[in-house]
Amino acid sequence: MPDTETIEEGVIQPPQPEIQDPLLRELLTETATPTLLNIPQEKPQPLPVEADEVDCIVVGLGAGGAPLLARLAQAGLKVVALEAGPWHDPKTDFATDEQAQDFLFWNDERLAAGADPLAMGRNNSGTGVGGSTLHYTAYTPRPLPADLHIKRDFGQGEDWPFGYEELEPYFEELEAFLGISGPTPYPWGPARRRGYPLAPLPLNGAAQLMMRGAAKLGIATSPAANAALSARYHQEGVGWREACTNRGFCQAGCSTGAKASMDVTFIPLAVQHGADIRPNAFVTEIERDERGRVTAVVYTQNGTEQRQRCRHLFLCAGAVETPRLLLLNELALNSGQVGRNLMAHPGVQVWGTFAEAVRPYKGIPGGLISQDTHRPANADFAGGYLLQSIGVMPVTFAGQVARGRKLWGQPLRDYMQNYNHIAGINILGDCLPHADNFLELADEKDGRDLPKPRIHFTAQENERRMNAHAEALMRDLWATAGATDIWAFGRYAHVIGTARMGLSGDDAVVNADGRAFDVPNLYISDNSTFPSALSVNPALTIMALSLRTADRFLASLK
Amino acid sequence: MSESTFSVEPLLASAHVSDATRAALLARLAAPAAYVPQLLAPEAYALLEAVAARLLPQPDRPTAPIPLAPAIDQRLAAGRADGWRYDALPPDREAYRLGLGGIQETAQAMFQADFLALAAKQQDAVMQQLAAGNPPGPAWETLNATRFFEELLAELTTTYYAHPLAQQEIGYAGFADLPGWTKIGLNEREPREPALPTLPSHS
Repeated sequence: MPDTETIEEGVIQPPQPEIQDPLLRELLTETATPTLLNIPQEKPQPLPVEADEVDCIVVGLGAGGAPLLARLAQAGLKVVALEAGPWHDPKTDFATDEQAQDFLFWNDERLAAGADPLAMGRNNSGTGVGGSTLHYTAYTPRPLPADLHIKRDFGQGEDWPFGYEELEPYFEELEAFLGISGPTPYPWGPARRRGYPLAPLPLNGAAQLMMRGAAKLGIATSPAANAALSARYHQEGVGWREACTNRGFCQAGCSTGAKASMDVTFIPLAVQHGADIRPNAFVTEIERDERGRVTAVVYTQNGTEQRQRCRHLFLCAGAVETPRLLLLNELALNSGQVGRNLMAHPGVQVWGTFAEAVRPYKGIPGGLISQDTHRPANADFAGGYLLQSIGVMPVTFAGQVARGRKLWGQPLRDYMQNYNHIAGINILGDCLPHADNFLELADEKDGRDLPKPRIHFTAQENERRMNAHAEALMRDLWATAGATDIWAFGRYAHVIGTARMGLSGDDAVVNADGRAFDVPNLYISDNSTFPSALSVNPALTIMALSLRTADRFLASLK
Repeated sequence: MSESTFSVEPLLASAHVSDATRAALLARLAAPAAYVPQLLAPEAYALLEAVAARLLPQPDRPTAPIPLAPAIDQRLAAGRADGWRYDALPPDREAYRLGLGGIQETAQAMFQADFLALAAKQQDAVMQQLAAGNPPGPAWETLNATRFFEELLAELTTTYYAHPLAQQEIGYAGFADLPGWTKIGLNEREPREPALPTLPSHS
């Protein structure tokens, strides 16, 4: 080995005997330091054995990893973040072009199995410093309290190990920190102690149409909560972030910094407090000692294999890569629940053509919300859903027309001529776990020579009934609003639940703090820990859990 | 600006378009019509071109259609994926190899001729069988016709509508988003967006 040769040639530094006692080692290291400083730079220096070890490694810098990273760094811990994707400069790198923005998605192939295979890629994944918040729509409603105890209420699904009140202070903190724009007071759920810091964003055509149809049907609507700025906002660690320019391109990357993706909010804060961000770092192995504690993470960065020792590991890689890492490393598998309980939000969309010009590419996509359907009176299913208006970019829409409407040839081109007159609404509904829905490692290998994840998903009776209820309501709403040529596109969004939290290691992977039952210095913070899917988009709750996990972890150190 | 006169090229040259956006769209606009396939055999590539011409017909561009087949060949050659695949389908190269062969088999079974030798109406009949999910031909016993057709159609369609001329055709000006949009409600537009005909109301 070259290093050994250098040492032998130099003959200045004799080999150091391995010192086993940590206290003695520390004392010797301290006393040795002054003399070491006099050694010429080119000579190797015996580093203290623990010098390479950091307090925490955070794997994944999306909504699950970034808030926690900032919290740990703010507490003075030495933290390293490993993110599989690159670190972009959105202001110069991001084009207003869907195809050019394909780099925002996790494009390694996943296999979609079951009767309702889940589209991944642009629909359900992310990569890069910021993770999938780089292309989330910024839709950030809070869950309603009943979402956390669906089993208590319906006898199906799973309850969270704590109630809404445990997350409420984090929602308040996040809404203020991120600069969420939304209505005050909020029309649904319990009265709030704090309003949104910014007024709602302006409504686009689809939102106006939904408001019109819903009013005639007696359905209450409101401008939605979105993590995009309706006015200039001061961001701690960043400075001033400018107001949203209504680009309507949230799902292909925000180039202005108005959307509260992690790269313009928590990550700069973390960096300001000393976090070491390592982009393009793909984790391959998690090392443990004989007691089963995590000791180091092996990763590949720019083609080179690296190893980083740590005292604690936080897996925040999302509900596909987190369980894949656990399965590949045979880590925290005692409950048998890793990869199980996979849920996906019913997200059926209804599209229609309107006489008015809609130009659906402008404005915050999810401008309007209704949570009147959270527990519908006439429901024949457990749980419920929210309704939202949706904007749409042309290539995404064309792809859905091809897949969902199966139009081809001249009828496809003729229909697409109506693009500027088309508006959509959709739902986001709760989902129950089922034995048929799970993630496993396939025999087939990907480009990194790792087993591809295979994701099984089949909508069960509850999801099918919810979809039918929602589709009928939305068709009615859209016809009432004046739509013609109405059609529905069945889809599911977000992968959830593949390393769930619970009260016991018999049926859950992590406890209520996010700590693995099997591995005391392993934490998981992302949508894989959700015990139930909730009837709202997951990003805000992922961030709230991330901050809570950080606080519980920090409290445990005291 | 009316729809009939809406042209993306002056808009692309304007300050309403960011550098990154302009670079992406101009590269697509300037892609040469002539293309030598990198992965598909010449006859398979010719078949793919013929299929693309039925799924996205361009009678309005007889001499210079928006090229669609190169994108698929380039992607397959590079081994790029879009993040997922139906488990029911084999890996993409295999799926395209089997699927294009299957289209030939279906053409033979229905008309006793190569797909390329068929009239447009006959080619459409082959596509119709494929779209319906039960085309004749032994390849379809191993390849899920419905899923293959969906993937093929979606890839061609998204390739087509990513092209600036296709975006011009549908009156899309969203790429010209500088300094931002202020008129975002129903029937509201900025001067740089094309005016649209009011569709007859059916309500």
